[in-house]
Amino acid sequence: MARVPAPKSTFPNGNKLALRSLSRHGTGLATFPMMLRLSPALLLPLFLVACSGETPDLVVYCALDQDLSEPLIQEFETRTGLTVRTQFDVERNKTVGLVNRILAEAENNPHCDVFWNNEIAHTLRLQQAGLTLPYLSPSAEGIPASFRDADGHWTGFAARARVILYRTDADLPVPRKLDDFLDPTFAKHGAMAAPLTGTTLTNAAVMTEQRGRQEMLDWFSAVEAAGLHFGSGNADVMRRTQSGDFHWCFTDTDDAAKAIDAGYPVAVRYLEQGDGDTGALLIPNTLAILNSGKNVDAAKKFADFILSFETEARLAHSISRQIPLHAGALIPDGVGKPGKDFEMMDVDWVAVAASIGDLAIELQEAFVR
Amino acid sequence: MIAWLNTRSPRPWWALALLASLLAAWIPLAPILAPLVRVDRLAEMLDGRTALLLWRSIWMSTGAGLVAFLTGWPYAIIACRLRFPGAGIFKLLMPLPLLLPPLMVAQAWFGLTGMTGAWASVFTFGVCYAPLPALLTARSLQHQSASAHETALLIGPRFAISEMLRISFLPALIGACFAFLFAATDFAVPDYFATVGDLFHVYAAEIFGNSRNYDYTAGATSSLPLVLLGFLVLLGTANLQRRQMNFETMHGRTAAPLPLRSGRYLSLGICLVLLVVLLIAPLGRIVYETGMQGELSTRSWSEVSSAAFHDAVTRGRDDVIRTLSYSGLAGFLCLILAPLWAHLLLKSRSAWRLLLMIFLTLPLLVPSVALGFGSILMFNQPWLENFYNSIWLPALLVTGRFLPIAVWILAERMGRIPEAQEDAAALAGCGYLTRLFRYRLGPIRSAWWLTAGLVVAFGVRELDFAILLPAANQSAAVRYYNALHFSRDNFVAAYGLVLALILFLPVMLSAWWRNLQTKEA
Repeated sequence: MARVPAPKSTFPNGNKLALRSLSRHGTGLATFPMMLRLSPALLLPLFLVACSGETPDLVVYCALDQDLSEPLIQEFETRTGLTVRTQFDVERNKTVGLVNRILAEAENNPHCDVFWNNEIAHTLRLQQAGLTLPYLSPSAEGIPASFRDADGHWTGFAARARVILYRTDADLPVPRKLDDFLDPTFAKHGAMAAPLTGTTLTNAAVMTEQRGRQEMLDWFSAVEAAGLHFGSGNADVMRRTQSGDFHWCFTDTDDAAKAIDAGYPVAVRYLEQGDGDTGALLIPNTLAILNSGKNVDAAKKFADFILSFETEARLAHSISRQIPLHAGALIPDGVGKPGKDFEMMDVDWVAVAASIGDLAIELQEAFVR
Repeated sequence: MIAWLNTRSPRPWWALALLASLLAAWIPLAPILAPLVRVDRLAEMLDGRTALLLWRSIWMSTGAGLVAFLTGWPYAIIACRLRFPGAGIFKLLMPLPLLLPPLMVAQAWFGLTGMTGAWASVFTFGVCYAPLPALLTARSLQHQSASAHETALLIGPRFAISEMLRISFLPALIGACFAFLFAATDFAVPDYFATVGDLFHVYAAEIFGNSRNYDYTAGATSSLPLVLLGFLVLLGTANLQRRQMNFETMHGRTAAPLPLRSGRYLSLGICLVLLVVLLIAPLGRIVYETGMQGELSTRSWSEVSSAAFHDAVTRGRDDVIRTLSYSGLAGFLCLILAPLWAHLLLKSRSAWRLLLMIFLTLPLLVPSVALGFGSILMFNQPWLENFYNSIWLPALLVTGRFLPIAVWILAERMGRIPEAQEDAAALAGCGYLTRLFRYRLGPIRSAWWLTAGLVVAFGVRELDFAILLPAANQSAAVRYYNALHFSRDNFVAAYGLVLALILFLPVMLSAWWRNLQTKEA
C-alpha cells in the first residue's frame, strides 16, 4: 500500500490559518476532528449503559402473532410483577426461526425459558432434541389427552382448524373433503398455500402419515393438474378469496376470521380430512418449558397463566378466533365447537414431527420452481 | 491524548477500520464460511430447477436495474440541472421511494393495476430502487464545474446537455448495479406477486428455504452462486467508479441549473410523471389502504384509517425507538468508519484493493439470515451475555453489512478531491484525521451524511438477522412484516407511512435549514 507522506511541518507552528485556505469548504468541518476525538468518550458510556440492561425474570420465545400474545404477556407481568423479555418470530419464518435459534443458542448459552409455539410439530422437535422440561400444569386439566404430552413436556391449547373459506355471493361448488380438490369443478375456482411452511406443511405431513409419502406427492401433482392455484401463504390465499379472485381457499380459521371481521361476503366450512372422510384437522398452540432455562419457577407460573381456561377464552374472543380445547370452554359465536360443529381427526403428532423435516426439503424441490 | 489520536500516519486508523469490519462482519460470518464454500454440496444442490431459478433471478434483477436506471437517471438530471417551477421539491422528494418497503410498494401497485408475475416484480424493484441511480446522479451533477459547464454552453446547448449526460451516466449505472444487487437477494416481492398471480420463485427463495430447514448451513452453501454473481457485479461497479473518477469536477464554482423557456413545462411534466410512478401513486394507494374495508363493513374509511394510525403510533412506538437506536448507532459508526475505509481503498494498489474489496463486500452479499445465525454462534457466550442482549450487537451487524454501500459511495466522491489538497496539508504537518475529515471530506460532506442516512434506512428495513438478535427482535420491521402476514392491512399501511415519515423527516428538516441559511446569506 502506498504511504501518505508525513514530513514535519514546513510552516512555523504548523500554521492552520494558511492551511484553511487550501479548501474553501474545509472550515465547515473544522470541529469534526474534535468530535471524532470525543467519540470514544461518547461511545464508551453508551456502550456501558446499553450493556448493563436489566436481567428479565423470564424469557419467552413466542411464535404466536405478536398482536395476540403481547397483551396476554403484559397482563401476566402486571399480575405477577415479573418482567418478561419476549422474542417473537415473523410469519414467513413459520416458527422455524425461533426453533433454530433455540437450538443454536443451546450450544453455548441458552436464554429461552418458555417456548410458546403457534403449532405443534416443531415443539416436538425440541422435545426430541431433549431440550424440554416436563411440567404438568394444573391449568391444563380439561384439555384432551391427544393435545398434551403424557409427561408434560408440552401442552396444546387454543387451536386453529384447517378450513375452506368461500365466498357467499356466488353459486359455485365448495369442497367438503380433501379429495374434492382433485375434481376440476372445485379445483379451478380454488387456492391453497404451497405446502412449504406453517400449517400447510404440517397438513402435508399429516397426509403423509395417512397415505404415505408418494401418494401425498401424487395428490399435490393431481390437484395442480386439476387447476388448483397455489399461493405463498394462508393469509395470501385468504386475501385473494376475499377480493374475489378465487371462490374458495384452503386456509386456517384465524385467517378466515379476519376476512369475516373485515366485512367480506365469506363463510367457513370445516374440511373433512380424517379416515372415512370425517374429522377436521386441528393444530393447537403449544407451550413447552425448556430444561436449560434459568427461571424455572417463573416459567411454571407463566405456563399456568397461559394454559388457563381464561386465556383460552380470551384467544377465542380475539380477532383470530382460536378454538379452545378446555372441556366446557365458553366459545363465542363464529367459532366452531369441536364435537358439535365438526369432528376432530386423530393425529399421531410424534410421527408427524419426525417426518416434517425431510418432507419440507422434498416439497421445496417440488414447489420452489 | 489528542495529539496521539491525530497521528500523521494513517495506518493506525486503517487498522482500526479493518478491525471494526473484522468484528462487525467477519466474526459473525466465520461459522458459515466453511459451508459457504462447500462446492461438492453445492454441486448436489444445483440442478435444472435451481439453474432456472438462478436464471430468473438474473434477468429479473437486470430488468429491475434497468427500470431503476431509466427512471432515476432522467429524474435526477431534470430535477437537479434544469430550472423550472417546483424543481426544489422534486429534488427533495428524490430519496423518499427508497424509504418505502418494497413489499408495501408491491401491494400498492397490485391494488392499483392488478399487475402480477415476474414483470410486476421487475417494475416494483425498479421503482423502489430508482433513488439509488437518482441520488448518485444528483451528487455527480451537483459538483459539475461551472467553468466547464459554461464553456460547453458556449459551444451549444446540445453539447452542454451531452456533457451532463456523460458526467452522470456512470454514477447512474453504479446506482443501477446496486439496484441489481438488492433485487437479486430479495424474495418477498416475487413471492407476493406469485401469490396474487401464477406461482413462480426466484433463487433467493431457494436460499431462504434452505436456511429455514433444520440444517441452516445449507442456506449458506446454496447462496454461493448469488454471492459470486454479486461480487462480479461489484467488480464491474468498481471499474465504473475508477472511470468516473476521471471526470474531475471539483475546481471552482459549481454549475448553476440551466434556465429554460419553452422546455420548463415539459420538464415539469416529465418530472411529475416520474414522481407519480415512483412515489405519489403507491403512496396514495397506501393512504387509501389505511382505511380500506370489505363491502359489508359498517365503519367509514376515516374511522378505520384513524384507528389504524392510532394503533401504529401506540403499538409500534417502542419498536420504532428501538430500531432507530441501533440503526442510528450503526449510522454513527459508519460516519467514522466509511471515510477511513474509502481512503484506504483509494490509497491501495490494485491487488491489495481487490483483496480489501472482497473483505469489505462479502458480508453484504451473503444471506443475512446466515449472518444472524453466525452471530448467535459467535457472540452468544456467557461472558458476552450483556453485549449479546444489547443494541450494540444489531448496530454492529448493521454496520458490518451495510458499510460497503457507504464506502463505495464515499470512495467515488472522495476520489474526485484533488490529492494536492491532502498532500499540502500533510506537508504543513496536519495529522491524518485533520487531512481526512477536513480536506478530503470537507467538500463532500453532503455525500458523507447521505451514506450514514442510507445505512440507517437499510438498518430500519433489515428483517432477517434482526429477528434473530435479542435487542432487535422487537423492531419496526418485525412488527411490520408480522402485521402484513397476519392480514392487518390497515395497520400495515399506516405503520409503513409513519416509518417513512420518520425516516424522511431529517431529510426535510435539513433541506428546510439549508434553504433558510441560503436566504439569510
